[in-house]
Amino acid sequence: MTIKPELQQNMEDGQWASPYALSSGQTHYHELSHTQVWVTLLEQEWQVRYQRMAEDDDQTRWLQTISHEASDGGLSEQRFVRPDSGNQVTYVPVMSRLAMVIRPYQPLTIAANSECTIYVGTLLWMRIQVGDKNTQLLELPLADPMMTWVGRNTMEGELCYSAATFARLMLNSVPKRPWRAITPVRIVNQQDQPLLLERFSLPTPLLSLHRNEQGQLWTPQVTVHCESGMNSARLRVDSGVIAAAGKCALVSAAREQHSRGGLVRAYDRMFG
Amino acid sequence: MPEQLQTGFTAFVAGIAWGKWIGVCFLILLGGVLASFAARGVTGFMQERASRHHTVMMRRLVFYVVLALFLVAALREAGFSLDVVLGAAGILTVAIGFASQTSASNMISGLFLLVEKPFEIGNFIEVEGRIGEVVAIDMLSVKLRTPDNLYVRIPNETLIKTLVINRSRFPIRRLDLTVGIAYAEDVSKVEVILLGLARQNPHSLEEPKAFVLVTGFGPSSVDLQFSFWLPADKVLEGRSRMMVDIKRALDEQGIEIPFPHTSVYAGSHSEPFRVQLLSPETTTKTGEPDAD
Repeated sequence: MTIKPELQQNMEDGQWASPYALSSGQTHYHELSHTQVWVTLLEQEWQVRYQRMAEDDDQTRWLQTISHEASDGGLSEQRFVRPDSGNQVTYVPVMSRLAMVIRPYQPLTIAANSECTIYVGTLLWMRIQVGDKNTQLLELPLADPMMTWVGRNTMEGELCYSAATFARLMLNSVPKRPWRAITPVRIVNQQDQPLLLERFSLPTPLLSLHRNEQGQLWTPQVTVHCESGMNSARLRVDSGVIAAAGKCALVSAAREQHSRGGLVRAYDRMFG
Repeated sequence: MPEQLQTGFTAFVAGIAWGKWIGVCFLILLGGVLASFAARGVTGFMQERASRHHTVMMRRLVFYVVLALFLVAALREAGFSLDVVLGAAGILTVAIGFASQTSASNMISGLFLLVEKPFEIGNFIEVEGRIGEVVAIDMLSVKLRTPDNLYVRIPNETLIKTLVINRSRFPIRRLDLTVGIAYAEDVSKVEVILLGLARQNPHSLEEPKAFVLVTGFGPSSVDLQFSFWLPADKVLEGRSRMMVDIKRALDEQGIEIPFPHTSVYAGSHSEPFRVQLLSPETTTKTGEPDAD
């Protein structure tokens, strides 16, 4: 099902983590990333439907509208009993449950004993919360993520999501879309040989999400120290976002908590 | 005479230290109850912290240890010396071992299975052509639940002797699909299509990479092996979806998936088969009666 262009013009921009009030029988329709979402409130239940759209790279807005028009039939709906009499629905962005492997379209070489910061936009999941107690209904990815395997061999390792990136070095050139979180990744190559960045495992479950005044989502900076060899690295997650992000407020906490003052962890297979 | 018997019986009954025996029975009962409580407590504690396999193992261990302690205490209460009891148990074990070799063998095999741990409760294993989920690893046998919901009991001895395939040991698996294409088709084009499908399939992993091999020139097709990797729990749906996608993609591209052809050759010196097409006038109309 597609929405007519004239209807799209009347639609407003969506906001993360702000409650929308629906009356019984109304549907909240969203169009963002590659996904269309319908959230309907009925007397006794909430209904959620979603489907993927054809890719449209020019789309940069999150369009939403509340109306009495339900979605077309044919889409399977998920039904939830109303947890309380509250009629608000809130959409909270969350990072992926599995680590995200970032793969630059073109491999990037970092010279010996030097460092760089790349800006990575990662896919988000939409968590739908309803009622007075903000009861969670479900979490849905805003695009179908690819999966990959990161490990020494096929016996030891972990399943991760995978995403291709342009690995941009200039913050200004990073597209700011409401369904992408920007993570600055500072890579410090302390080896005496260049580091070829082909793949990089970003520990997304450790990252919290923050929103600045322009509505952009940011995560704290991740610093990777590569000291010996391609396959081992130390990783540190900052506690706050970088200054370039502007004044930010926490939108959702990290799925997994790390030790106070950032985290230092050795990884076997962070690159390549 | 009956009076004497009665007096003897009364003396016998009076001679039994009832208090002691009641104490023994109470200890055994208490042991049973406490052991089952302790086992339940351990299950509750471990259920969220450990795997199902470890929970079951720990539950049994706690149950038997607590019960054994109370049995030993009960035996002491009854006045048995532990050394004598253990000696008697040794002799008894030999006697029982000879009498029930199969059971003893299964029990020992069961111990080896626990130590070697080729599979855990919840794993999908394949034994002698049967696939199933391990639901219990017991003293004498392992119980499987097959995908069509049958309960299969396999003696531990069989598992020690025979080949066992554990399908859920590693988190990812490779699927090898055989695809046959007609001799007239371009193999490299098909390879590109198949690798494209692997990239599009949501279950197929990006790494390790999918690949296509030519495995042979069959009687009616060029046989290709298309291999791609999946998470172990997505094998069934991943295979089916990929097969459907392959068929659709090859059909769309006009690539023929041949079925076996047979060419009948009559030999160089013989006359070719005579084939005559009948004109419509000479054919018999079906549905009309042959005679008026």
